[in-house]
Amino acid sequence: MSAQSVAQPVAADMTERGSMAGAPLLLGVEDVRGGYGEVDILNGVSLFLRKGEIVTVAGTNGAGKSTLAKAVLGLLPRVSGRILFEGADLVGLSTEDRVGRGVGYVPQVANVFAALSVVENLQVVVGVKDQRRRIAELFEAFPLLAERRRARAGSLSGGERQQLAFARALMTSPRLIILDEPTAALSPAKVAEAFELIARLPSLNVSVLVVEQRARQCLAVSQRGYILDGGKVAIEGEAAMLLADERAAELYLGRTEKRHS
Amino acid sequence: MFYAQLLVNGLVQGLVIGLAALSITLVFGIARFPNAATGDAMTLGGYSALAAFKATGSMALGGVAAFLATAVVSLLAYLAVFRQLANRSVVSLLVASIGVAFFIRAVLGVTFGHAQQVFMAPLSRPYVLGGVRITPLDLQLAAVAAIALAAVFGLLYFTPIGRQMRAVADNRDLARVSGVRPGRVMVALWLLAGGVAGVGGMMLGVKTIVSPESGWEMLLPAFTAAILGGIGSPGGAVLAGLLLGVAQEASTPFVGFTYKIALAFVIMLAVLLVRPRGLFGRVEGAR
Ligand SMILES: Nc1ncnc2c1ncn2[C@@H]1O[C@H](COP(=O)(O)OP(=O)(O)O)[C@@H](O)[C@H]1O
Ligand SMILES: [Mg+2]
Repeated sequence: MSAQSVAQPVAADMTERGSMAGAPLLLGVEDVRGGYGEVDILNGVSLFLRKGEIVTVAGTNGAGKSTLAKAVLGLLPRVSGRILFEGADLVGLSTEDRVGRGVGYVPQVANVFAALSVVENLQVVVGVKDQRRRIAELFEAFPLLAERRRARAGSLSGGERQQLAFARALMTSPRLIILDEPTAALSPAKVAEAFELIARLPSLNVSVLVVEQRARQCLAVSQRGYILDGGKVAIEGEAAMLLADERAAELYLGRTEKRHS
Repeated sequence: MFYAQLLVNGLVQGLVIGLAALSITLVFGIARFPNAATGDAMTLGGYSALAAFKATGSMALGGVAAFLATAVVSLLAYLAVFRQLANRSVVSLLVASIGVAFFIRAVLGVTFGHAQQVFMAPLSRPYVLGGVRITPLDLQLAAVAAIALAAVFGLLYFTPIGRQMRAVADNRDLARVSGVRPGRVMVALWLLAGGVAGVGGMMLGVKTIVSPESGWEMLLPAFTAAILGGIGSPGGAVLAGLLLGVAQEASTPFVGFTYKIALAFVIMLAVLLVRPRGLFGRVEGAR
């Protein structure tokens, strides 16, 4: 993912996995339960994210990672527990209001408006103070999108779509962005670029909660991580610790990849 | 010459079908159910236009009255009925819309009686272009339809609320995480869908008669055009309506006037069997 000007303010010496232990709390998920119908998919999830952090949420297929992301955004029909964002509980607020408070979201699937043009995908976002300027900034950050501004989003390649999905979510200048499997649809060559972009987001004042199948690569750019299993947090800790953890490696991160760590 | 004449007649008929199909396809794309009250909304448009026409003698004001009255009633139907059922199944909403349809028809019947009424448009000499007769009335109707269509497409493609409507049609959850408030979009949708159905109803009334049942009978060709055009595709609905209007007129010499409605049915079946996406349908239009 080439995003040169998003990269500008990056301090080269920023310790990518440095501890943020002193930073204030941005997101606090407390004992969240809920689901789509009668059945609970989330069975009491608790996690937190400090300002400036990148936090990985990993776990097998069906563990409830996407459901957790939807719960934070208010897209899950039934939720109990508390979801604190900058100290205020989001539970009970509409999705639009949560977005208005500074939470951005890139869903796992259908993450662009396929029938709208690239520029319309950005223009449609509500609550942006200086829309023209923000679009110009994002086009500068994602030059590929600027080139294809009139193209229907449905006609974009996987990588271009992903950039557009990021750009759309960044329109509102969110302070937290929740990414659901941002590298799933990418060719292997683009995956590293995507992680580079994610690693740069905190320098733009955007903290990141990222759901990933490629847990090892993702933990490598994260400070901390959680592993979900059956709608609960099974293991949590510092990214480095999780990468070194035998049990985590065996059960969730895939042994064959271990040599990469 | 004969066929050219049928073509002209068919285009006017096609605009009626196209406006109704546009209303149906907008509701289907954004609110996600087939609105069976569209036909009776047209009837309401017919009566409203007739009242305004009788009072002022102006066809244009008739169109304005049809648009406004039907837009308002359509919005009320949304607020009173469809909004309450927003999370129910498509079937519940369809059944509710049939209820709304009967309600509108009953109120119109009680208010205006069941006798057929006609627009007493002054007779005027038709223009003859290369043997094809075009009446000034048809031109006026076509102009009213063109203005209504231009307004709808302008709104859909060149305004923020139109963009939001298309975004909700495309992906409702993504629209919400983009800060779009579905409630506002729904208000715009129902005003617009009602308004275009009303203008279609006025044209229908002028070309035929106004009676409490007249709009209901347009439902089949209108749904056919909406499906033929690719459900959820506004431009497709209008084009398919024009096509269907012309096809119906062109078939009259062969099948006779009474059977031309059956043609719509045959076309609808054929489209459903052969190309369910319609002529201009997009996959994402009917998610
Ligand atoms: N829209 C939905 N309706 C009902 N059940 C769902 C829906 N989406 C996901 N689920 C169920 O919720 C569970 C968790 O799914 P999900 O959160 O998507 O898992 P993950 O993202 O970790 O792979 C699964 O059992 C899945 O079948
Ligand atoms: Mg998922």
